[in-house]
Amino acid sequence: MTAIRPETLVWLVLVALTLLTWGVGQEGLNGPAVSLGLLGVALFKGYLVGDWFMGLRRVRGPWRWVIALWLLLPGGLIALAFLLAAR
Amino acid sequence: MNATVQVMTGRPGSVSLPDQQAQGSAGEGAPERAAWPPGDLAIWIFILAELAVFAIFFAAYAFARMGELELFVTYQQTLDTNLALINTLALITSSYFVVRAVGRIRADDARGCIRWLAGALALGGLFLGVKSIEYAHLFGEGVRLSTNTFYTFYLSLTFFHFLHVVMGMVILAAVAVKAAQGHYGRAEYTGVETGASYWHMVDLVWLILFPLVYVM
Repeated sequence: MTAIRPETLVWLVLVALTLLTWGVGQEGLNGPAVSLGLLGVALFKGYLVGDWFMGLRRVRGPWRWVIALWLLLPGGLIALAFLLAAR
Repeated sequence: MNATVQVMTGRPGSVSLPDQQAQGSAGEGAPERAAWPPGDLAIWIFILAELAVFAIFFAAYAFARMGELELFVTYQQTLDTNLALINTLALITSSYFVVRAVGRIRADDARGCIRWLAGALALGGLFLGVKSIEYAHLFGEGVRLSTNTFYTFYLSLTFFHFLHVVMGMVILAAVAVKAAQGHYGRAEYTGVETGASYWHMVDLVWLILFPLVYVM
């Protein structure tokens, strides 16, 4: 039996999470909890791309976290704006 | 073949690895730990600058939405999420193809690398085609940049990203041509990693843009 490549597994996870996001949109689900959940999924997908596709998991030091830190910047601001909008 | 090969540590400079580590999947053949990210460091500075711009754009969208919530929610529903899904899957898959292309060049398989890059380029073309259909439909409905704040953000943000896809495709095509000319192999593939890093950035940005603009 051929072992699945880790990158292939990551790709499948990304596809599955994308379908999940699309499905939530199709169902018309909304509200701050749903939005923040979808944002979390998007940030996790970005983390996977940075780590596995961009190869940062093999990097040590500050460059290892550059994409993760970037994700926190727009992620945090978007979350704040959506929470304020829901008040 | 010699028992060791030269592979990039991510920064110009190299390290010896056992020959078998250059075989197999895209993730293999890379050093276990490097001080610098894959590809030319200059592209990473460029990537960070691009990501900073997109971060500001995303935050601006989110705060503008906060001010005109009803308008954003209403007009978001005019967008075609099915087309956006196709485009998201196209970019994710093209990014995966690029990972495989890097893996092939690390294994000294230039032809395999070119095939994966061609696949990635085809998916990039699909993305541009689908996005063009989306734009044509909206323009046909009379939507313009000045129609309302939502469309101002939607059109400018997605078209800015569209241009990055075009740029990424130009870079990937140039990498493929150089690979075909024999410029890359297991001893030197910084150029392939550099192009790959830029393409993954284009994918990364879309992964945030898709839920933010189309779904949330």
